[in-house]
Amino acid sequence: MSPDSQQDFALAFLSILFEGAPFILLGTLISGFIDIYLPAGAMDRFLPRNRNLAVLAAGLLGTVLPVCECAVVPVIRRLVKKGLPVSCALTYMLAAPIVNPITALSTWQAFQGQNAAMMTSSRMGLGFLIAAAVGLIVSRLPLAAVIKAKLLDSLEEPEKPHAHADCGHEDHHHDDGNCCGHDHSQEPGDDGRLVAAFRSAMKDFIDVGVYFSIGVTITALFNTGIAPGATWLDGLAGNPAAAPAALMVLAFVLSLCSTSDAFIAATLDKFTWGAKLAFLTFGPMMDVKLIFLYQTVLRKRFIVLLALGLFLAIGGITVFWQHLLFAAQ
Amino acid sequence: MKPELRRILFSLAVLGWSAVLLYFHASGRITKYLAPDFRPIAFAGGLGLAVLGLFNLLTAWQSVDCGHDHGNDGSSHDHETSDVHPLVALLLMILPIGLSVAWTRDEYSVQALSRKGLYDSPSNLSESINAAALPPLTREEIEKNRSRTDDGFYQFNLMELFYATGERELQSVIDGMKVETEGRWIEEKTRNPNGTRKRLYRLFITCCAADSRAIPIILEFGGIPPEFPENGWVKVSGVMRFPLEEGVLQPLLLVERVLAAEPPYEESFLRK
Repeated sequence: MSPDSQQDFALAFLSILFEGAPFILLGTLISGFIDIYLPAGAMDRFLPRNRNLAVLAAGLLGTVLPVCECAVVPVIRRLVKKGLPVSCALTYMLAAPIVNPITALSTWQAFQGQNAAMMTSSRMGLGFLIAAAVGLIVSRLPLAAVIKAKLLDSLEEPEKPHAHADCGHEDHHHDDGNCCGHDHSQEPGDDGRLVAAFRSAMKDFIDVGVYFSIGVTITALFNTGIAPGATWLDGLAGNPAAAPAALMVLAFVLSLCSTSDAFIAATLDKFTWGAKLAFLTFGPMMDVKLIFLYQTVLRKRFIVLLALGLFLAIGGITVFWQHLLFAAQ
Repeated sequence: MKPELRRILFSLAVLGWSAVLLYFHASGRITKYLAPDFRPIAFAGGLGLAVLGLFNLLTAWQSVDCGHDHGNDGSSHDHETSDVHPLVALLLMILPIGLSVAWTRDEYSVQALSRKGLYDSPSNLSESINAAALPPLTREEIEKNRSRTDDGFYQFNLMELFYATGERELQSVIDGMKVETEGRWIEEKTRNPNGTRKRLYRLFITCCAADSRAIPIILEFGGIPPEFPENGWVKVSGVMRFPLEEGVLQPLLLVERVLAAEPPYEESFLRK
């Protein structure tokens, strides 16, 4: 890399990182505290009994329980095991990273001067609609077609308290039949939970920060024209159909956190507004890292179908929405 | 890897980001990277990261219970195990930011500026610049309210002169007017067969330097232009014109006087 390219890369990299890092921190702090302090059954209480209404309500849970896409997968895995309907869990999993106040705030901030209010509301609205649609479809599918056999088996096992010989103490019970190696008969002090919450937040920050760092590196290389293929990508930028497809592929590869991806999207100034909306909606629902995380809950065949469905649905809707909003101009 | 060592490595990565954020804020260099709205957020982020990193570093050896059971689902739900090996995570977190701090000169090269519209005509305005429509100006308002030099040049910012190229009403008001403006001095690489032209530009930032766009006008000297450092700040006075060149309207200043100038505190036009 020439000295000029180094200087350009550095300026773009640092500016995007400075802009996004505080929002990642905010998101991971909240996620860390939810991880430790929120009881697993708390979400069930928010949901109505009607199956369809429950799916719709699950799509909005992210507004009160904001978690990014990295944090949401372990959460829903746990909730499914605790009896949350799979359709609701999937709806929450897809919607929560988008339909949450931190993502809304960062999107609104990042898109100042680029129809920020419209982008924020479109992103949240589209994220909710797509997640609810997936949830409603899943609610009509057999569970075996959606979730992993191992997880399905554990759902079918009756929950019963039991003692453990290998724990070294026989007088405490786990609700899922496994000893985790420590005694839960005594509640930990607040200090201990605070430390655990900060550790969880730091772990989330590192997980997200690593992907963010890689994403910002790639974006800075494209932004300043250093990356090979930057010109080719620019060529797709103005095409109303190819641009959303290209940015959804980019979102898939970059694997950014929903709390900070808007800062990347806002810098892709050669691309259409609709393409950026596709980037911001598809990315939090499906990317490289999520593929690995989803495999801990979902069947591979379902993940492939979900990815294709999301790609086509989000691509189609954003092309239509872009046309509707900007046709007059 | 031992949990204590993992916590220390993670804490160092977090503290590394914190140190960079706080250093750029304390040194004032943050003004080259972020729009004003984002600077306090970045500062708060730097402080928050410092708290997160220090807290975890100081409690790295403390043994705690999170207060709930961890199922038999095979996942590493221990609140601390990362997706990535701690050493790889540390490298990925620290290497790009470290190299960037070492490489940055707080400004773009001409090559990057070209990508950001330095040689684009005003008709290629991006959405973000269009959205920053300037308030309407009339000749009466200019004569009444606008500062004027002793020798009769009205002071304009570069954005107004550039933007007037696409605004017929504003253009008719400014066309032929004696104006003074400031910006960065750079070579004119297009439509300059006799070498009598230079280009004057500033950056327009929406949120951060990565989304910035160059806002340029052409300087016509009618002869060999004087020498100024590339990217140096100058104050230029002359008569503003909007000629049609190769089918495109161009903002062109017929220069009468050019002086070196101090860089302004805010180098970039901002969205407000």
